[in-house]
Amino acid sequence: MAMRQTPLTCSGHTRPVVDLAFSGITPYGYFLISACKDGKPMLRQGDTGDWIGTFLGHKGAVWGATLNNEATKAATAAADFTAKVWDAVTGDEVLTLAHKHIVKSVNFTQDSSCLLTGGNDKIIRIYDLNKPEEEPQEITGHTSAIKKALWCNNDTQILSAADDKTVLLWDRNSTEVVKQLSFDMSVSSMEYIPDGEVLVITYGKTIAFYNALSLDMIKTVDAPASIHSASLHPDKDFFVAGGDDFKLYKFDYGTKEELESYKGHFGPVHCVRFSPDGELYASGSEDGTLRLWQTAVGKTYGLWKCVLPEELVSENSDTIYCTPAAPEIKA
Amino acid sequence: MNTLVSVLRLPRGPDPNGRGFDPNSPRFIAMCPTTISASSETGTDSVEIGEEQRARSALRESFLRTLIAMTNKQVQFHMYERVKVEAKFGASDIDVLNFQVSELQTPIGVQKEALLRAKHRKMLLMTVYDADDPPTELPTDD
Repeated sequence: MAMRQTPLTCSGHTRPVVDLAFSGITPYGYFLISACKDGKPMLRQGDTGDWIGTFLGHKGAVWGATLNNEATKAATAAADFTAKVWDAVTGDEVLTLAHKHIVKSVNFTQDSSCLLTGGNDKIIRIYDLNKPEEEPQEITGHTSAIKKALWCNNDTQILSAADDKTVLLWDRNSTEVVKQLSFDMSVSSMEYIPDGEVLVITYGKTIAFYNALSLDMIKTVDAPASIHSASLHPDKDFFVAGGDDFKLYKFDYGTKEELESYKGHFGPVHCVRFSPDGELYASGSEDGTLRLWQTAVGKTYGLWKCVLPEELVSENSDTIYCTPAAPEIKA
Repeated sequence: MNTLVSVLRLPRGPDPNGRGFDPNSPRFIAMCPTTISASSETGTDSVEIGEEQRARSALRESFLRTLIAMTNKQVQFHMYERVKVEAKFGASDIDVLNFQVSELQTPIGVQKEALLRAKHRKMLLMTVYDADDPPTELPTDD
């Protein structure tokens, strides 16, 4: 008997959620940070969606947010022309890095020693977090606002996607362009998977997979609607995508077949990411919510509870469920 | 027939009264035992930690006493756009994000009761003076 996906809705934001990121797996589980136009990025427990805290300090919409692997530090990029680094345990602001325009993207190196930023001033900056008073290293070249800048290849290279319809691969030391990808339209999102060096890029209705070192294309898949974000499962068997039609799509990575689509959000989906253990994926939407979705629907994990088949066919099956039987759980 | 996957409960939402990061959570206690991240490098000398705790308590008490002493005193806030406003200080919230004041004298009139938010205040330069004996010159934020 097929089980129907029950997404878990995380409320709290009052404006569209535009970015989200997971930490690595820590002794305390894994964590999730969400960037929101309400200016108040939030930290949540990754497997349950429980709110842990709100990073207060930005004076404008927060466009990008990230956590380091250990979830001890957070970084955010905002429309107030600053990127901020936070202590992700206490919620305290640690550093404010002034920029000359809206900052859109932030990314830590694996050892959390450096922060990469990119935004509307078209410049990629590298900050040494051990010497925050020093001027950042600047990398110029993009001719339009930068949407995303990510460390790759063991933090020796940088991938950047901009509104100039290019994705550039830079060498960190020489700050020169090593390779370039050009598209007919702006890239809407980019995800880098270090294990296997895969780059996931979305543009229009397309989800494209590239080798992150060579920028050779692996494959492309077209979705039924314009896609804003996609994420590849850690085991590389599935990928998920979401966009304009408010739905989440799940595809088989090997066969490119669309497996499932899920309704739930009340607005376009702006970001979607798999958790580090691949058991769930989180989506952020224009509707101001984050939703958590199970990869294996019906499995006991986090707040989801597996119900055994015998219990389902019992005459008193309505007493088994912990929540009232309702077609849609709204939070 | 498709059955919905059941859930134990819904994810917990934000606390409307604070910014979270519960200092009693296992992660917080393990990583910030003395609430000062720098001091955790000094090791687990319980005497030092005890002294530190006492100093922290003294500072907290002093801060709270300052807030109490400021109640009903005339204060001046330096806001954005070179605006300075005077008011009678009432109270602060727990995160020192909002101040409750009375008789707020603004460029467009006197507000009987008001809440001054942290993001609207440029600087916490509060000059507390006795309303019956104001100083002739107030310090500036230059």
